[in-house]
Amino acid sequence: MKKLITLEINGELTELSVEPSESLLQVLRRQYGLTGTKRGCDSGGCGCCTVHLDGKAVYSCMVFASSLQNRRVTTIEGLTGDGELDPLQTAFVEKGAVQCGYCTCGIIMTAKEFLSHESDPDEEQIRHAIAGNLCRCTGYHKIVEAIKTAGSGS
Amino acid sequence: MSLTNVKEYFTPSGKDEVLELLQTYGDSALIVAGGSFVHGLDARDLLIGIDALIDIKNIGLDEVRNTSEGLSVDALVTFTELKKAGEIKDRPEFGAVRDALEYPPLQIRNLATIGGNIASACPYFDVPTAIMALDAVVQAQGPAGSRTIDLQSFFAGLFQNALETNEFVTGITFPQLPARSASAFIKLESNANDLAIVNVAARISVDDAGVCQAARLVVGGGVAETPVRAAAAEALLEGSTLSEETVQKAAEAVGTELDPMSDHRASAAYRLAMACTLTRRAVRQAIERLK
Repeated sequence: MKKLITLEINGELTELSVEPSESLLQVLRRQYGLTGTKRGCDSGGCGCCTVHLDGKAVYSCMVFASSLQNRRVTTIEGLTGDGELDPLQTAFVEKGAVQCGYCTCGIIMTAKEFLSHESDPDEEQIRHAIAGNLCRCTGYHKIVEAIKTAGSGS
Repeated sequence: MSLTNVKEYFTPSGKDEVLELLQTYGDSALIVAGGSFVHGLDARDLLIGIDALIDIKNIGLDEVRNTSEGLSVDALVTFTELKKAGEIKDRPEFGAVRDALEYPPLQIRNLATIGGNIASACPYFDVPTAIMALDAVVQAQGPAGSRTIDLQSFFAGLFQNALETNEFVTGITFPQLPARSASAFIKLESNANDLAIVNVAARISVDDAGVCQAARLVVGGGVAETPVRAAAAEALLEGSTLSEETVQKAAEAVGTELDPMSDHRASAAYRLAMACTLTRRAVRQAIERLK
């Protein structure tokens, strides 16, 4: 049985009709065309599906869309409201932390929450914070540099 | 994948509604809290025959509070919330819980709940090992009322808990431990996202003279169908002054009480050897925390 859900996505209230087993990841990509959030392992291990649910980083592949009544979802597209780049996004570009780009959005969403309650983290803290996001291209070095730069406010 | 065969997703707003739904759907219902292990269940064919998911996030079971029975943690408390709770952060006896909560990544900590983690009766998890060392008990609600189930009884077998079909987990309670208690937990993992190769929790309680009054050594992470208390090793620590020699003997004794499996993660021999090593380290860490 489909259910009707009202939720907020990237600041906009929206109504959604969902199947019982549909995940937030499926809904974001298929019903809203918000393809910044990627599908990788689809089982909560790789992190490329990471979004914010009420401000907290979660794997959207394991969030049931049916559970989202009155909840607030933020995707990479909604990171900044005004079309400008978030300091994290700028840092990723400037540091060369993006190769294929598949992990990038998920890591930025994770780092965004992390930096919201940790100012000026060191390398070890950053690596621990992004442990739930896998990257196959970069070896993480530039990613950590980018997060460190964004986190130090420089 | 049986998950796509699910017909209904319910979001009840109170305990009574949950019990009604369990009454209606019986074995074809699955209680969902954070939902972070539903895919794990599906991958292991444990969702065959499930028609209804009952999401209990809105029934108001989301507090950590001190009661006369001890520290009560409601089922829907997430790992992130538990990490922040004052008692968990500050008290040496909860060291094992603090340690266990460091391992899952941020995205899991924000979603996973203590109730869902325990109710899964998954021997590969970390939190069950840690809380077993603290003698935690499970609170369950059924149509006849609530009841308390000790953890060893609750973990009835591989992915099998001791709940009746019409019951669900409402929380866990950490009983009051002796005044000078400390615990520690260590997980051996090959990467930050995987389940354990083996994990160990150690808890010691000592009197004013430093003599060990009670010891708990729990080995989990998949060494058996449930986490295992190494009782013979515990007995070696109890009544002792926890000298380096005694700790070493207890760590070695743990190896005689286990019969782990070999799989793609590790051989049985490696698990056995590491269980002993982790025991030694976890006990040492607990002793440090007593100071």
